[in-house]
This record gives sequence, structure tokens and C-alpha cells, in this order.
Amino acid sequence: MTDRVRLSIDGVEHEVAQGELLIKAAQDTGTYIPRFCWHERMKPVGMCRMCLVQIETPRGPAMITACTTNVADGMVVDTTSEAVKRSQEAILEFLLANHPLDCPVCDKGGECPLQDQALAYGPGESRFVEIKRTYVKPIPISDLVLLDRERCILCARCTRFSEEISGDPLIEFMERGNLTEINTFPDHPFSSYFSGNTVQICPVGALTAKPYRFRARPWDLERVESSSLFDTAHPRVEVHASQNQVLRILGVDHPNLSHGWLSDKARFGFEYLGSADRLSTPLVRGGGRLVEATWPEALEIAANRLQLIKDEDGGGALGVIGGAQGNNEDAYALAKFTRVALGTNNLDCRLDDTLSSHFLAATVDRALIDDLDTSGTVIVWGPDLKEEHPTLYLRVRRAAQELGATLIVVHPRATGLDDRAVVKLGYRPGGGFALLDEIAEGAHSDVSHALAAAKVTALVGLASLADDPRLPESVAALVRQKAPGARILPLSSRANTYGALDMGVAPDLLPGRVAVGAIGCANLAESWGDIPSRPGRDTRAILEGLVSGDVRGLLLVGADPLRDCPDRTLAGEALEAAEYLVSIDAFVNDSNREADVILPVAVFTEKEGTVTNLEGRVQRVSRLRPAPGQARPDWAILEDLAALMGVGLGLGSAETIAKEIADVAPVYAGVTWDLLDWEERDGVVVPMTGDQPLNHIPVSLEGNRAPRAALTLHSARVMYDDGVRLRHSPSLSRLAPGAVAHLSPVDAPKVGAREGATLRLVTKKGEGEFRAVIDPGTPAGVVYVPLNQPGAPSLGADAVVRVTVVT
Amino acid sequence: MSVWSEPTRQRATEIIGRYPKRRSAVMPLLYLAMAEEGRLSEEGMREVAEWCGITPAQVQAVASFYTMYKTEPVGRYLVSCCTSISCMLLGADEVLGAIEDQAGVPDGETDKEGHLSVEHVECLGACGGAVAVQVNYELIEGVTPDRARALVDWLRNARPDVVNGDEMQELFGTRRSFEWAIHEEDGAVGPYPAFQPLGTVGR
Amino acid sequence: MTTLVVTKRMAEHPADSHTITRYQATGGYQQAKRALGMTRDELVEEVKASGLLGRGGAAFSAGLKWSFLAPERPSYLVVNADESEPGTFKDRQLLERDPHQLIEGLIITAIANEAHHAFIYVRGEYSKPARRVQKAVDEAYAAGFLGTGIFGSDFDLDVVVHLGAGAYICGEETALINSLEGLRGEPRLKPPYFPAAKGLYMKPTIVNNVETLSNLPHILALGSAGYTALSSSADTGTFMMSLSGHVRKPGNYEVPHGITWRELIFDIGGGMRRDRALKTWIPGGASAPWFVPEKHLDLEITKDATAEAGSMLGSGAVIVMDEDTCVVRAAERIVRFFAHESCGQCTPCREGTSWLEMILRRIDEGRGRAVDLDLMLDLGDGISIGLEWPPRMTTICPLGPSAVSPILALRDYFRSEVSRHLEAGGCPFPGGHIAGEEEEEEE
Ligand SMILES: Cc1cc2nc3c(=O)[nH]c(=O)nc-3n(C[C@H](O)[C@H](O)[C@H](O)COP(=O)(O)O)c2cc1C
Ligand code: SF4
Ligand code: FES
Repeated sequence: MTDRVRLSIDGVEHEVAQGELLIKAAQDTGTYIPRFCWHERMKPVGMCRMCLVQIETPRGPAMITACTTNVADGMVVDTTSEAVKRSQEAILEFLLANHPLDCPVCDKGGECPLQDQALAYGPGESRFVEIKRTYVKPIPISDLVLLDRERCILCARCTRFSEEISGDPLIEFMERGNLTEINTFPDHPFSSYFSGNTVQICPVGALTAKPYRFRARPWDLERVESSSLFDTAHPRVEVHASQNQVLRILGVDHPNLSHGWLSDKARFGFEYLGSADRLSTPLVRGGGRLVEATWPEALEIAANRLQLIKDEDGGGALGVIGGAQGNNEDAYALAKFTRVALGTNNLDCRLDDTLSSHFLAATVDRALIDDLDTSGTVIVWGPDLKEEHPTLYLRVRRAAQELGATLIVVHPRATGLDDRAVVKLGYRPGGGFALLDEIAEGAHSDVSHALAAAKVTALVGLASLADDPRLPESVAALVRQKAPGARILPLSSRANTYGALDMGVAPDLLPGRVAVGAIGCANLAESWGDIPSRPGRDTRAILEGLVSGDVRGLLLVGADPLRDCPDRTLAGEALEAAEYLVSIDAFVNDSNREADVILPVAVFTEKEGTVTNLEGRVQRVSRLRPAPGQARPDWAILEDLAALMGVGLGLGSAETIAKEIADVAPVYAGVTWDLLDWEERDGVVVPMTGDQPLNHIPVSLEGNRAPRAALTLHSARVMYDDGVRLRHSPSLSRLAPGAVAHLSPVDAPKVGAREGATLRLVTKKGEGEFRAVIDPGTPAGVVYVPLNQPGAPSLGADAVVRVTVVT
Repeated sequence: MSVWSEPTRQRATEIIGRYPKRRSAVMPLLYLAMAEEGRLSEEGMREVAEWCGITPAQVQAVASFYTMYKTEPVGRYLVSCCTSISCMLLGADEVLGAIEDQAGVPDGETDKEGHLSVEHVECLGACGGAVAVQVNYELIEGVTPDRARALVDWLRNARPDVVNGDEMQELFGTRRSFEWAIHEEDGAVGPYPAFQPLGTVGR
Repeated sequence: MTTLVVTKRMAEHPADSHTITRYQATGGYQQAKRALGMTRDELVEEVKASGLLGRGGAAFSAGLKWSFLAPERPSYLVVNADESEPGTFKDRQLLERDPHQLIEGLIITAIANEAHHAFIYVRGEYSKPARRVQKAVDEAYAAGFLGTGIFGSDFDLDVVVHLGAGAYICGEETALINSLEGLRGEPRLKPPYFPAAKGLYMKPTIVNNVETLSNLPHILALGSAGYTALSSSADTGTFMMSLSGHVRKPGNYEVPHGITWRELIFDIGGGMRRDRALKTWIPGGASAPWFVPEKHLDLEITKDATAEAGSMLGSGAVIVMDEDTCVVRAAERIVRFFAHESCGQCTPCREGTSWLEMILRRIDEGRGRAVDLDLMLDLGDGISIGLEWPPRMTTICPLGPSAVSPILALRDYFRSEVSRHLEAGGCPFPGGHIAGEEEEEEE
């Protein structure tokens, strides 16, 4: 137990934790001290002076800022004295002197601390008869954020956030004194993946978000709390809607997750929900076109054809890809439907660019995000967290910057965490095993030391498409060997992948991280009946099966393999070859354009349920608005399909599914909606216990060496790509970098490329034209191409690339 | 990528070497950037950012805090007239007015030829020799309106390559805050302080 | 009349007091050498015993401050040569005319505080003083007094002369440290109250004023007893005062503590120009509350006597105003200074000082309103709750509250003059407060 101190606030004695800030201690014990600049998640700056209170000192009463003063034993605090009141009135009068009174047209009107506190603590009227400061208004400081400088009260929240929290010090105080203003460098916008947070924490309406600006008044909004599926940590959010349109998403401070911060993708990526392109009725192919149909028509056609193939060639002739976009209840329904109705284990929520399902879902020593706060060493060998795992990025940054963890980053090129890394190692894409061997042999003493020294947390995933999918498991094995007791967080970046795997949406896993096999199947028999006990095909094998003809029918559930699979050629051939294609989706996409039946699905904010994040935390997602037209939740569609195929899945409702999950998946026992709604609002981490298999992969794989090529291709996902949700969110879709190829300043002159030149890139798996970016962050010998970009040709997972200049 | 000349780059390396941390060199490097271009341009700030390992916004945040980093074009001669309390008591407003009149340049502006800039400034630490005026941060004390006019004419006509405080004091100053018996050769060659080899000649 | 200490060499050798040759010929660098043989405790005790008070404005015991140095190393030494308080120009004289004296003081301080890296932060407008100091530093390096193994010992000491760029607030020691780190020159939050706990790069740091350090060779030479004996009052040693405004002989004067204001203004300063009557004076730099002859002329110039009378000696800058001075405009000029120099962090300082400036300008220009004096006092109370001196600190640093001093003077001594502005629809001294052309040379 931490040391406690006693203090008196306004005559009442309290006991609080030592070292706490007075403003926080007062708040927690029921006294609200007004403030503008203080924010619980950032270092105090004591600038606004609104939180001045009076304390007793040996030399008489003194005024101190509660946001910068730690509590002390015996402290006597007066928050309502005459002097305190006078100073609060004065601060408000000063702040309002130059503040425009445009509340009626200000987004913040109605939820503005300045407005509220002026009412509560302010003088009646301003005595400022001079001319107010004015600025040209408003200026866009990024693609998403606008700044009205005259509304700014200089609380330094946005500047602190960008510097301390997100590590993008691009927005700063400029000038000084009365001329001080917030601004960016000319031609160097606040292009941070986290810019929207500044809008949320701005205590006035100085920073506003383009997607929300002037769209609503706060008192008109309906709101629910939920979890974001744009980030595999599933940060807590509050979703606000008006007239069934989602208008904004705010971060909610969850102590174990993102601390209230959101990536701009999680914050602004809601526009797709209301997109006019959303599917609202079932579509069936008729006369070569997709035409609208009724649910009974569409379901019957789909069920009949799936049944036909199953009857002719058995369940093994069917395959299911997807299931990571929905809730756990949907995923469970899909896992059950596939096994029980289709009679196959050919089912995968991963899209062939990721790790083994056992490693992702059943790593017994999986780390919690909170482990980062207590780790002496954090090693990140995998994707650039800033691009793919925004919450983890912020938490790792905090661990390294504020909490003193030694950070090791291993990645083929520059990453967003490099400035905080004590050790940064690079390697040729595809050549990770060579580096792993070196580390194993002790050639990198700094790494060895860091791993030997203290509590280790390792975040491992695929850094590059060129990497061997077995590399991360080997990294984990090495970490365990060098740092017994280390905790491992395996990384995969699709919405609810971990939930889907936990629900058994994998060829080799059953609900509850149980391996497909005789024992697992026997345990399920009571509720599922007889199901195939041999592991089925994963995504790649399903696609190959389609090409070879062994698989005839394909069900896509919120999946777009043509766009999302690294091997687009294979995906294309497979879809071409598929005899029958059913898609459950919210949009028409490249892959289901040729489908025989498309069934419209309800998505985020349109259905209740639970999701499971990458540390195994189960949280609620909530419904706020109806799905468009006749769109329905996945589970309901699947239940009807199964019924038409003569199988009762017995699902009933999302809530009854949740109960069934708790029954059949041992680790989910007790995790009910009731619990999550009332007692465990911050979610429950389902335990990593039991006899789940833990892979032991040898550290080195013979013959796996980086290709000996002049240039190696490094492809990786970035924050903004051409994924279907982003494509239909206009504010964000413009932010994707597009078809670009990054060359190092060393290689660029060698191939004769200048910034902006058109390049032709050729690999064995594809070719096409890209715009050249000369990038000091990309090392010599590497060509870096962001994946899945609008207008970008696919180059496949091949690491050898030839580059020629077109213009 | 660098816009700086080789000698300037060498100077930058040397300056950074003096400080325990790179970022501490921001201020001297900003002067270096001004010396390179005659004022502080966006390019210059970008360059400083790179040298110090910070963002251009962080550099601008620092540069704009101080009055001596001039991001607007400045004339070859920057005439700064102190109008703080002690100088004001001895006629600083009139001296400033005389400078504005004679130069035809209002306070805070620069003439069309890019020759003279005029500004009022806060206390120059020469209160015993009020009124104080600086040209390119070289000090003249005991300036009167007449002498100020003569100073402007001199800058217009003589166009000295180097402005030297002692020389100007003799020509245009009267009472000083304290005696200074030694004649110093060093002076400024541009509208930034002549310190270290930066724009200093005469050594 | 007085024993000169820090200005002795320049008085006796006006032609070359700044050279290392002259400095050594007059006993220079002996004390630094001696200090190398002393322990940190001995040095701190000696300086404590000397009673030396900081000359940067806060008048805090130098030895006591050194004793606060946190044990963590490295420690740093920063010399505050940012002298920018209106009315103050004493450090400039010490920098230009006896830079080696400062460097020797710096070496002693570095030894006492185990610092191997020192910075001399000179305000940007002092390019000539900075050149002189740099030259002296170069000479000291060449002589082996700075650099690796100073004076043949195993003590290393590097000195960097750092030029500011026009910001008074960088004289505040924590703002200075931020500035030196390449950040905006904004004062840091207190506590820690002294950079000696956490300063430059968050390491223990001693910040001392130029004049403070210039005294050190003399304290070691005279011994603390000898140094204390220089003054008959509780404040030890001598004190440099910068005299400016409407006196016949403005300038820097090194005086012993304990003379009276009458002696300073009328004897040392040669009395009022053109024999005008003395109206008011500011005893310790633009920040200080004003004094008036009716009440304060025969007060002793000591820290305590000045404080008791509700003001401070501050940086030792005395600004004298005669009967023709418009106090509204004088107040406006001082408030304008603080508004211009506010770093902008604290709401009351940022907004309040410019608001005050606007009101004063309005009154001066004839647009004053009857309520304006009370309004200013109210705003002043918002910046400096209770309008006390020394202020009850409600801002991060004392700059904001300093801007209120002139308003207090208007309240206490010049209410009627404010009213006359309102009645006359403007300044009742048309041009009267202005000096003419070069009339009346000093004798
Ligand atoms: C607004 C403000 C401005 C200051 N300006 C100066 C200055 O120009 N020179 C100086 O030596 N001290 C100045 N000080 C005092 C310093 O903060 C600090 O107390 C001093 O440098 C310590 O040195 P000393 O103890 O030797 O006096 C200033 C303080 C404040 C609050
Ligand atoms: S009082 Fe003024 S100068 Fe001092 S820290 Fe606050 S805003 Fe800055
Ligand atoms: S007031 Fe002008 S130099 Fe001091």
C-alpha cells in the first residue's frame, strides 16, 4: 500500500495517496477546483492560473496552483476563500477579455469549460472596452483540424499532447506575451495520426475537426460508450449521433488501454457508416448483374447452392474467409455455422499476411498492454506501431519516455518510435533470421544486456511482407530464451482478429483457443454435434483450393481478399475460379463484385455485442442507430442460412450467443454482458491458462537468408490505405499516400530517380508504376512501398524488386 | 539538401560541439542562419531544425519568442532606438521621431531600398547614457534628435561596410553610461549582433 | 569617499583594465588558483560568511544558494549576464571593462560547485560586451586558466559565451536555463525553487549574476571578515547602483550599503538637472515600487530598510524623475515594458499587463474614464492578489506582479495627477517632461 497523507480541504479532513497532485486529490475526494490547462494525462504547466487555491504556510496564507502542487501531510487548503474567488474572477475576466463571444456558432458551445466556468466563477460582465485581438480565421493546421486562434486560451494542451504523448511536435506556441499564438510551421502541417485528440482536449473551440465542424450542437446528440474496431487494442470510445447519423467519436479514458487518446482513424473513421454506398438490401446475380432481392429469395438461393456443393463433394469443397470485422457473437456464429452447417474447418479470419493462429491466440505468456508500464525493457520487432497499432505506439512511447523503459526497436526502416529507442536495429527485408542468429550468438551486446536486465515485454509481429511468417515466433522463442519470464504480445492488425480467433474462426482453433482435434471436438459435441476433427484450410489453402478446383464454393464475410491478401494474383485467380460465391458485407468491393449473392450486414454502432482485443480483453460494443435498410447482423444471417440448410444453430440473439460462448469456451466462462455493462466496464481480460499449445520453433531456419538482390522490397501497412471502411470515409481516404515507392537518398541517384519521378517496379508477383519519394528513413538497398494504396498495383510478397525510371 | 555554404556548415558543427546537447545550439545557429541570408528565412529555420534534431515548428517557436531574430526582411542597417523609461525621460520619443522623419521609415519598417530599418526597442542597458540608439546592435549613447538625423544621413551616404560603435559614438553620441577609453575595431556587418566571427571584422 | 572593490581596477587603469596582462599585474587569478586548494565546504562557508547577496535582483545569499546544490553530477554553472531590467547597466560595465574579474569569480564558483561546464549568458543586444568577454575567455584558455587541467591542476573547466536574442524574461534564471537548452525562454514551475536542485538539463545548476561573481576574488582576497568590514550596515560589501533619469550625473556608482537616497541622488548623482524638484524615483529597477521625497529621501539604502518601506533594491537601478515628469506616461512606459516582455504563460500577466498598458495609453491620450484608476487597481489585484509588496506570488514568476508597481505609485502618490489627465482630456504636461537638446552639460 502506498503511503497516505492527511490533509484538510475546505475544513474537511481527507486521506489521500502521497505524491498526488492537489487538484486530483481534491477532485477524487469531492472538491472540484476549476482548471483549464491541467489534464490528467499530461505534465502540468500551471499556465492558466485558474486553479489557484489558498494554503496555510508558516508565513501565513499563500496562493498556489493546485495543478502543480503535490499534497503534503497536514496541508490545509481553502478553495473558496475571498482571495481565491477574486483570483478566479480575475482569470476569467482576463481570458474573456480577448475571447470572441461567438458561442452560438462555436462547436464547443454547450460543452465549453470556459463558458461553464464563466457562469460558475466569473464576473458578471467584461470591463474590457478595448479592441479584441483578431486573427485571420480559421486556418487549417492539418487535413482534419482547423484552428481559430482568437478563441485559444493558450492552455498548452495541444502542444503538450503533440510533444509529450504522440511525439509529433508540429504544433507550437509562436511569438510571446500577448501575441502568443498556437501555430504550425508554414508548409509543415500538423500531419499527425493523432491530431484529433487535440480537438477533444481543447477546452474551448479553438481547435475543431473538419468532419464535425458545425454539424451539431452537443445537446442534440445521442451517445453510447463502445470500443473502437479501428485499432486492435480496441480503445474505449463514446459515439455520438444525431438523427441516426454518427457525427463524432470521442476517446474515453480507460486506464488500461489508450488513456482516452485515439488515432485519427479511430476518431474520424466513422463516415463509412452513413455512406450512400452501404448495402441495404440483399443482391443476387440475375442476367449477369447484381439485382435487389428479398431476404427469403437471397437466403434460399445461397443456402441451396452451398448445400448442393456440400452434398456433391462434402464440406471440404467449401471455404470461408473473413469474420474479423464483426463482434465476437458474429464470429462465434460463423465458427459454428462453418462447422455445423457447412461441415468443414476451411475457415480463416486471417488474410494470409499474418501469423499462426496458435501464436496469435494461444500464446500462454501473452503480455498485457499494462505490462509496458512496469517493464524495464520493451522490444518491438514487428510492424511500425505508429502505422498499425496506434494505442500500443502511444503506450510504448510513454513507457520509454516517461517511465524509463529501455526500448529496442527492430525494423527494416525508420519507425515512429526510433527517437525513443535506446537500440535500433535494421535488417534487409526477408533477412530477419540472420539478425536473429546474430542476437542469439550475443553479437549485439546492448540487446543482450537489455534482455538480461529487467522485466521484458516483447511486441512481435511481421515487420514486412518480405519477412518469413515464422520469424515472429522465432523472435518470441529467442526472447524467452534470453529473458525467462518475458511476456510476449503477438501482433496482428485486423479489427477483431483476436476475438474471431478466440471464437474459433480459424482452420485449427475452436472457441476458447482450443485446438481442432478429437478432444476439442468431443468437448463441443454437446452443443455443436458432430464436426470435422481435422484442421481445415487456411486462407491461402482455400484460395489455392479454389484455383485447383478442390474447393468450389466460397463464403466471404466482410473480407476483400483481392485487396487484402498479399498475393493478389492468387486471390484474383481463386475468385475467378470459384464456382459459387456468397458474400456477407456492408459494401460491394473488388472481391464480391462478381458474387452470386451478397447479403447486407449491420456493422459497428448498429449492433450490440462484445469484442476481444490483442491482449485478450473482452469489452462491449453498443448499438446507437439502426442499420441501413434491411441490413442485419452476421449471426442472424448465418442462423437463417443454416436453417435453410436444415440445421438449427440455436443462436436466438446476440445476448444468448454471448451466454453460449461463456458456456462452451472455458476461458470465457463468466464473461457476460451484465458483468461488462455494470461491474467490469473496463472489460475483462480472459485468462491465458490451460493447456493451449505453445509453439517452439527453432531460432534459426536453415537456408532462410535475405535475398541477394541489389534492391529488396519492403512492403508494410500504413495508417491510411484503401481498406473498404477508409475508402468510404471521405475525410480520411484523401490521406492515403497512394502509389509511392520510397528510395534512400543513396539509391535514388543510382537508379536515376528524383523526388516525384515515375518509377516502374517489377517483382516476380507483379509490377506497376509508383511515384518516387526520396526518404532518408529508408536505408540503402531497400525500396519501401506502403501496402494496399489507392491506385497502387500489387507487387506481391516477393522481396526482389527491379526499379526503372519511367519519367 | 542544405542551403548553407561550406564555411557556415563548419561553423555550425563547431558551435554544436560546444554544448552538451545539440538543441542548445538553436540560438547561435539562428544567428548563423541570419548571417547567411541577412534575415531568418523559412529555409534557414528548416536548416537549423535539421542541425539541432528538432522540428521546424520547434525552431520557429524559439525564434519567434525573441525580438532579435528577424523573419521579415531587414535593411542593411537596423536602427534601434530605446524608448524605455530612462531614455523616455530624456527624450527618446523625440529621437525616435527624428529617426523616422529623416529616414522616411516608420517605426517597425524598412525602406524600399532595403537599406534602413527603424524600430523602437525596450531598454538597451545604456540608461546612464540616455538616449540610446543601436545600429546593428552597435551602441551609441547620448543621442539627441539632431544627432539622430545626422546618423541617418551618414548611414544613407557613407554606407559603411562595418558599423563600429566607438566610431559612431564619436560622431553622433554625447554622454555615455560610463567611460570607455579603448578604441575597439570590431563592428557589425549586418543586422545581427557582431559576436564571435559572426559578422565581425577587425580582429 | 568609498573603497572601490569591483570597479577599482577600471578606475585605476582605465586604458587596459580589461586585459589579462593588467589583470594579472594587479593580483588577478591568484584567488582562483588558491580556490583549487580549498574544499567545496570551505569555499561555501567562506562565501556564506562574507554575507554576499546576489546582485541579480533577488538579493539571496550566494553561499547559501551554493549549499543547496544537489549531489547529482554533472553540475553546471551559468552566469546571468542578461541584464535587461530598465534602468540597469552595471553588469555591462563589469563585462566590458573587467571581464577577467568575472572569469576569476566564475572559476572560483565552478570549483566550489564542482562544475566543469560554465555558460555566460549575455543579452543579445550586448554584442560588444560579449566580444570583450569572449576575448577574455580566449585569453584565459591560452593562459591555461580555463580548459583541461586549469592552472596545472586536474580540474577541467570549459566556458561558453552564449548570446541571448532579445527577451528580458531570460534574465529570470529558469527562463534563462530553458533558453540555454534551446527552448522558449519561459520560466519553469516552482518548486524546485532553485536550479541548484534541478537546472540545466535537469542537473544541479548554479546561476549567479555578473556582479555577484565579480565580488568573489575580493572575498577570497580580503577574507570574509575583511569583506564584511567594507560596509557599516547589515548588508555586506559594496553595491553597484545604476543611476539614470533626471540627475546631473547619471552613471554607475559602486557605493557602500547604508548611505541614504539623499546622498545618492544629490551628492553622488550631482542633484537634479536644471535644478528641477525631485518628484519621484524608482529605487531598484522598473519592477520596484516607487519612492517619493516626502517619505523616503532619508532612508538608508539597505535591503531591509527598502523592504520595510515597501519596495526593493532589486538590480540596483535608480531612475529619477523630476517635477515635470508625467507619471502617467512614465507608468505607461514601464507597464508597456512588462507587457512586451511577458513570456505569455500566465493568464494574468499575459492579458493583464497589456490591458493595463491600453488603459494607461488611453488616459495619456485623453480618452481616460473616471473609473479607470479603480479598474487598473482591480486588474492589478487580479495579477497580484492583495496588491502587496513583495507580491503574493500568483504567477509563475514575478514579472507579472512587477507590472503593477507603477499603478501602486499612481494610487499612493499621484491620484490627483491622474484626475488632471481626465479633466484636461490628456496629458497636462505638453512636452514638459522632455529633455531639450544637449542643454546643461554635467560639470
Ligand atoms: C523577470 C526577472 C528578470 C530577471 N532578470 C535578471 C537579469 O537580467 N540579471 C540577473 O542577474 N538576474 C535577473 N533576475 C534574477 C534571476 O532570476 C536570479 O535570481 C539571479 O540571476 C541569481 O543570481 P544572483 O543570486 O547572483 O543574484 C531576474 C529575475 C526575474 C524574475
Ligand atoms: S508572470 Fe509573466 S513572465 Fe512570468 S512566467 Fe508568468 S507569464 Fe511569464
Ligand atoms: S531606458 Fe533606455 S537604455 Fe535604459
